[in-house]
Amino acid sequence: MSVDTANAKNMSETQRLQNLSEDELSVELVSSGVTASLFVEILRRYQQQIYYHCRNLLLSHDDADDAAQNTFIKVWQNANQFKGDSRLRTWVYRIATNESINLIRKRKPTIDFDEAQPEMADLITEDLYLSGDDIALKLQKALCYLPFKQKLVFTLRYFEDLSYAEIAVLTSTSEGALKASYHHAVKKLEIYLSVLR
Amino acid sequence: MDLENEKIGPAYNAPESYFKESESRLLQRLGIDINSPEASAPKIEAIKPVEVLMKVDTSGIQKRARKQDPLTSKSVGVDKDVDSVGKVEIAPLTFTTNENPEWVNFSAISEETTGLGDSLNITKVTYGDLLNPVVVSVQIESVESEIATIEELSTFTESEEFVEDEAALTVIGIETAIEEVVAEEVVLETEVGEPQEGFVVESIIEEESITSESIVVHEVPESVGLDELESYIAPINAPKAPIIEEVILEEVPQTINLEAPPTAFAPIAGRQKESATPGWLGIAASLAAIVAAYFIWNAIQPPKAEEAMATELQQDEPTLIESPLDEPISPKDTIPDGLQLVEPLIMGEMPKYKEPNVYTIIDAKEMPPRTKRALQDLEDNGLATFDMEDEMFEELDFESL
Repeated sequence: MSVDTANAKNMSETQRLQNLSEDELSVELVSSGVTASLFVEILRRYQQQIYYHCRNLLLSHDDADDAAQNTFIKVWQNANQFKGDSRLRTWVYRIATNESINLIRKRKPTIDFDEAQPEMADLITEDLYLSGDDIALKLQKALCYLPFKQKLVFTLRYFEDLSYAEIAVLTSTSEGALKASYHHAVKKLEIYLSVLR
Repeated sequence: MDLENEKIGPAYNAPESYFKESESRLLQRLGIDINSPEASAPKIEAIKPVEVLMKVDTSGIQKRARKQDPLTSKSVGVDKDVDSVGKVEIAPLTFTTNENPEWVNFSAISEETTGLGDSLNITKVTYGDLLNPVVVSVQIESVESEIATIEELSTFTESEEFVEDEAALTVIGIETAIEEVVAEEVVLETEVGEPQEGFVVESIIEEESITSESIVVHEVPESVGLDELESYIAPINAPKAPIIEEVILEEVPQTINLEAPPTAFAPIAGRQKESATPGWLGIAASLAAIVAAYFIWNAIQPPKAEEAMATELQQDEPTLIESPLDEPISPKDTIPDGLQLVEPLIMGEMPKYKEPNVYTIIDAKEMPPRTKRALQDLEDNGLATFDMEDEMFEELDFESL
């Protein structure tokens, strides 16, 4: 088989994977196992979402970059353990969330996730790739005054548009608890933002 | 502000170039080359993380142990072939002579004689044997047989020549005894005060002087003092004592120490005799005198004026360093810049905040289905929200998804 033929086959394989829906991609992953093409497709599909998710949780670009890289390394290493019981996106998000939590614990081993971490707001100022939207930055700072659980639920729901069902699977929490957490988070943030304005 | 109706965009906006660079970096870390033909699915199966590591054929490779030097902690490979050739066996530890008699463990010497021509025949007789009648009888029996031998072979009588030989042997024995006292294992030619036993021992000496150089070694326990030992020796050696002493005087050269005594250059005070009064009494007396002098001094001082005391107290107080008023005092809290004023404002706004009807249910897992359904109805109708908190941050289990 010549190189051109291999490249053509590669291109067609990439094209085919790009046209697959998320569910079809999950089936492909479960049935055929992970391949380089399939992994690259997963990477390209979720890379930005995972980076922003990690960035919302960690606030620092470097930390978010590390967490995102580690997330996809674990996706590659553990792809054969994906059984398709949940959506592929949920699975990847869950890995990213755990990587972010591990990174926070590594930075601050005594952290209490039930408490707010207002000192983390310092990480936002003068960091890379800020949008420049003042309200968005204020919201990020206000998020630092939330307990981590509420912050996580709010981020996944508000920024990533995950459904309660997905977040419930992701966080192993009941949907009712998630709704309560989200409600608490929204109310607190509204107060913070009104004061900050 | 209504967050749910006014959607706020993301605060971060990373460029596409970053994601491209991140993607290539990640693929490089994982060793995936998407542009190469090997990146196709069947080929990449080899790159796929395998559960069982590839087995390495180790046949033909000689397994070599390593030995570690205990001093340098460096490990060196062991070559069995070389080691088998160069194997050295160390002979068991033996000793033939010992120049320092203090080191000789006489209890380790068997009662049998060595039998070598160059060595002396040493027979050990314990101190207890001399005191214990049973053992003594054994000794006597053996000695009696020796006497018989002596009688058969006796061509010598107690002549002057024999006395001299005997004396010489006794001197050797005494010298040995003096040395062995230091080592707490007294070895002597001892003779029991009874005339019969004394005769027996003399006979032994006589036999030794005739046949072979045999020495009778008497082992004496440590509990026996030198004086006690000498009291045993004295009556036996009494008739020969003058001869022994003379020989000792002749044999042992008296050394003269020409060095000055250690106290020759000591200061005169050092030579003073110790006082009968203990030292602590003098120290106590000195302290008592000092205390008494202090009280006397205070008593004779005129009383201080109150003003003088007040002045003195003021001088004792540390002077406060006044900080300049124009210097700003920076708050040392952890709230970032721009948010220091938020906290009190939030506290002012808090009364307006109405808590939702949220009820935390801890044992949600163990709740009966009927109750769960009722709670679900309440939640669906917006009457209440139930917070069924349960292990939100448990460790990720890949197989659970």
